[in-house]
Amino acid sequence: MANYFNTLPLREQLNQLGVCDFMDNSEFLDGVEALKGKKIVIVGCGAQGLNQGLNLRDSGLDVSYTLRKEAIEGKRDSWKNATENNFKVGTYEELIPSADVVVNLTPDKQHTAVVNAIMPLMKKGSTLLYSHGFNIVEEGMQIRKDLTVIMVAPKCPGSEVRAEYVRGFGVPTLIAVHPENDPERKGLAQAKAYCVGTGGHRAGVLKSSFVAEVKSDLMGEQTILCGLLQTGSILSFDKMVEKGIDAGYASKLVQYGVEVITEALKHGGVSGMMDRLSNVAKVEAFKISEELKDIMRPLFEKHQDDIMAGEFSRIMMEDWANGDKNLLAWRAETGETAFEKTPAGDVKIGNQEYFDNYLLMVAFVRAGVELAFETMVEAGIKPESAYYESLHETPLIANTIARKKLFEMNRVISDTAEYGCYLFDQACKPLLADFMKKVGTDLVGKNFNEGKDGAVDNSELVRINEILRNHEVEIIGTKLRKAMTAMKTIKTA
Amino acid sequence: MRQVIHISNLGLRFQNKSVFSDLSWTINRGENWVLGGESGSGKTALAKILTGKQSASGEVEINFETESNLPAQVLFVESWYQFKNVEGVANFYYQQRYTSQQAKETLTVNAELAHFGKEENLNFSDAEKLLKALGFSGLRDSQLIELSSGEHKKLQLVKALWLKPQLLIIDQPYTGLDIASRKSLNTLLDNIAKAGVTLILISNDEELPTCINRFAEIEDGKLVELESAKEITVIKEDFERTLPEFLKQSPIYSSSEIAKMIDVNISYGDKQVLKNINWEVKAGEKWLLQGHNGSGKSTLLSLINGDHPQSYANELYLFGNKRGSGESIWDIKQHIGLISPEFHWYFDATATVWDSVASGLYDSVGLFQQLPYTKAKHVDELVAYFGLTEYKKELLSSLPLGKQRLVLLARTVIKNPELLILDEPCQGLDKQQTAQFNQLVDELSHHGMTVIYVGHFEAQLPSCLTKKIVLKDGEVIANEEIIKNRILEEAYSIVE
Ligand SMILES: NC(=O)c1ccc[n+]([C@@H]2O[C@H](COP(=O)([O-])OP(=O)(O)OC[C@H]3O[C@@H](n4cnc5c(N)ncnc54)[C@H](OP(=O)(O)O)[C@@H]3O)[C@@H](O)[C@H]2O)c1
Repeated sequence: MANYFNTLPLREQLNQLGVCDFMDNSEFLDGVEALKGKKIVIVGCGAQGLNQGLNLRDSGLDVSYTLRKEAIEGKRDSWKNATENNFKVGTYEELIPSADVVVNLTPDKQHTAVVNAIMPLMKKGSTLLYSHGFNIVEEGMQIRKDLTVIMVAPKCPGSEVRAEYVRGFGVPTLIAVHPENDPERKGLAQAKAYCVGTGGHRAGVLKSSFVAEVKSDLMGEQTILCGLLQTGSILSFDKMVEKGIDAGYASKLVQYGVEVITEALKHGGVSGMMDRLSNVAKVEAFKISEELKDIMRPLFEKHQDDIMAGEFSRIMMEDWANGDKNLLAWRAETGETAFEKTPAGDVKIGNQEYFDNYLLMVAFVRAGVELAFETMVEAGIKPESAYYESLHETPLIANTIARKKLFEMNRVISDTAEYGCYLFDQACKPLLADFMKKVGTDLVGKNFNEGKDGAVDNSELVRINEILRNHEVEIIGTKLRKAMTAMKTIKTA
Repeated sequence: MRQVIHISNLGLRFQNKSVFSDLSWTINRGENWVLGGESGSGKTALAKILTGKQSASGEVEINFETESNLPAQVLFVESWYQFKNVEGVANFYYQQRYTSQQAKETLTVNAELAHFGKEENLNFSDAEKLLKALGFSGLRDSQLIELSSGEHKKLQLVKALWLKPQLLIIDQPYTGLDIASRKSLNTLLDNIAKAGVTLILISNDEELPTCINRFAEIEDGKLVELESAKEITVIKEDFERTLPEFLKQSPIYSSSEIAKMIDVNISYGDKQVLKNINWEVKAGEKWLLQGHNGSGKSTLLSLINGDHPQSYANELYLFGNKRGSGESIWDIKQHIGLISPEFHWYFDATATVWDSVASGLYDSVGLFQQLPYTKAKHVDELVAYFGLTEYKKELLSSLPLGKQRLVLLARTVIKNPELLILDEPCQGLDKQQTAQFNQLVDELSHHGMTVIYVGHFEAQLPSCLTKKIVLKDGEVIANEEIIKNRILEEAYSIVE
């Protein structure tokens, strides 16, 4: 199968990359009507499968599950998840032929095999739904022309999809219709209805395309979200230990620091995060983040180029075929780093201390968010999509590091994200070697403000604030955050 | 050393208000205390000071007995216990315990106890006896998320009784416990007191263990000693008494049949929690639902509130429609106002008081919408009716638990629903507040609202209840008219 994106003429490539529309509440007034009474059959009952299904059923829709034979016969967890919650479960042969909508919620790596197995059984004119577009875009899966192909992708783990729904809210969601497969022009109405069924319409919906979702998702996860947080964390820890900072303290500062620092992004974006610093510290963080941007820009561009060209997925799929040799080796390596092996010390670190003593991470985050955003937009991805896949998700990922460090982060994210993260990390560390030689404990480990009189050149400060606030990620971010908080007045915790 | 505790000149301020000023308290060996008084008087703060969780000015001296074989520790059993999932975070929602999920999020009771026993060097066979005495043995393999609030309370009590620290402080030991468990708890407390544990119980209850021999309450920032538990002040809350107009309208019923269950069965794996339940609730009826801890009451109510995934496989009719015939859970919930201890537990305490009440209009946890003008006025009126106006902009979490409960009670009635589901609504309220709330229920039901009320204590029930269903081990053992017997009549005299 050929990479779908690469088969498109340039004009159409840009066209699809540019689909991006923050949808208004009024577009969801029909609720779940388009799917009412239709048979929805979900393939796979894992994290997304179970939780999306519970929500859809609680929204009044008809949901059942189909699992591979081995899972049913072996009464695996996926079978238990479905039957113990009183869903009907059957084999592909039993359930797919009568399904109006088949939802593929198996791991991305299995999609080709799964779709090849179910497609011949699907009834004429039915719909195939994904929560991630990798299979269609990167593997170029060809779907029968009578079938409609849509995507509804919640931008959160499955457990959150359920938790927010029963609270009466939802999680931000991306929806799309595959232009090659919309023979009856019903794709959008069904995607919207499915989105309402999972509660996504209450938290902000972005109309996107398969192409835009995949290209931006891959870029975000391998650079700023996972790759850079991993590289930044490891380098910071090693630097502190090298300079004689207590290892327990260093471990704690790094493990929880990213969460505290990126939390500030949620409310005030990059400038909100920088505002947590004193004036002198802000000037310094700005300077080193500019330097970091210069150093890392070529690497960000390379990742974006490889993603666009399909080169990234080609080499990753080679690794799949190779029994995940690279992935497993890198995973083991991550588990063995000194940071991973040093438990967080029993020291108290105050909220502000995480900023004052970890200026380096603030600079990494600013550089990474802006670079990822800039590179995506340059490649033709719309600012709204780029915002979601960079700034918006950073605190969510940082949260997993706070839980149990990098190993946990890599366990939680998808295999694709994990692979891309290691790829980035491997290339980024040597790139930063010279830069890191100059870094001292004032940037990481000790309070930067100590021993400084706090005086800054006022005109310089004004200039820096202006640059920070006028960055496009800030402008679009302010707009999107406002739209989301208007709906979600309280629920920011 | 005769003195176990000696406090003098204790001072504490919180948000510019004085909590304690110049408080003194001496506890001698052989004394076991009850500390009572109104919600917000500082009882919990005092306990936290004794455990070192809260700092204050003045002197606090704790003298442990060096020769004792009991651990030289102060253990504080909090009234609100927040457990964590295996990853150390607590982000749960209250319907979660009804959903089967193979990826286990929390520890089992057994694992939790094993962990505790190991940390404190305790002998596991001692815990066995306690589990039995509190009727907890059957829950050993349950996940923490599956326990009800009463069961969580018991788990904390088991740990405390097992550890036998030299000083044990329990905040609200009886909330959520059924009558039998309260009795066994009192016996167990007497036993450990005999073994040398000094007890402080924070409670307004009168049925106390016999070892309790000193009584006190906090008044104006000072400790005041009392003769007996009967003397504990019951404050008169200033309730705005006239029911807001909008609650005097009779609810508009969409069907005369509120709920109907035919041979309903619910089980998790091979554990059956409801067996062949048949029950019909008609519009305007007032039901009392009773049963021991773990008898299946909450599960039964979750079926009516649209919260139980297994309701789809049972023959169940709600508001005239067969469950699973295309309705959404939001369609169901809009007819219902619900409160339960678990609902309170998992409620988003970072919302303001006003928003929490308003969110009842949309059945959401947290407010996600702008209110139309008339609805906003209703919220204002109701907040005033419950005497909460001065707190309306405060976060729920900053209020004492009793006040939080009042907020959530207001939330249940804000939409003047067809059906009120009140699962131990007055847990954590004092007698006066309970009487007032029950009177509100009576008034509402007078205007035609349907009520299902769960209450352990017959002495604290609204008088409108006329029918009763009783569960035991998941089965209905009584479904009958309430005969106004002696106990109940006594109860009404309290209300009136
Ligand atoms: N996780 C997230 O945060 C997230 C967010 C948005 C979108 N998504 C997307 O959601 C989809 C599902 O992800 P997930 O995280 O929910 O996966 P998951 O938890 O790993 O669940 C996968 C399910 O698929 C079944 N399965 C695995 N291999 C299969 C095969 N060869 N044939 C048939 N069934 C198979 C598994 O059951 P058995 O092994 O028992 O058969 C299991 O029930 C992916 O497309 C992913 O990109 C995920």
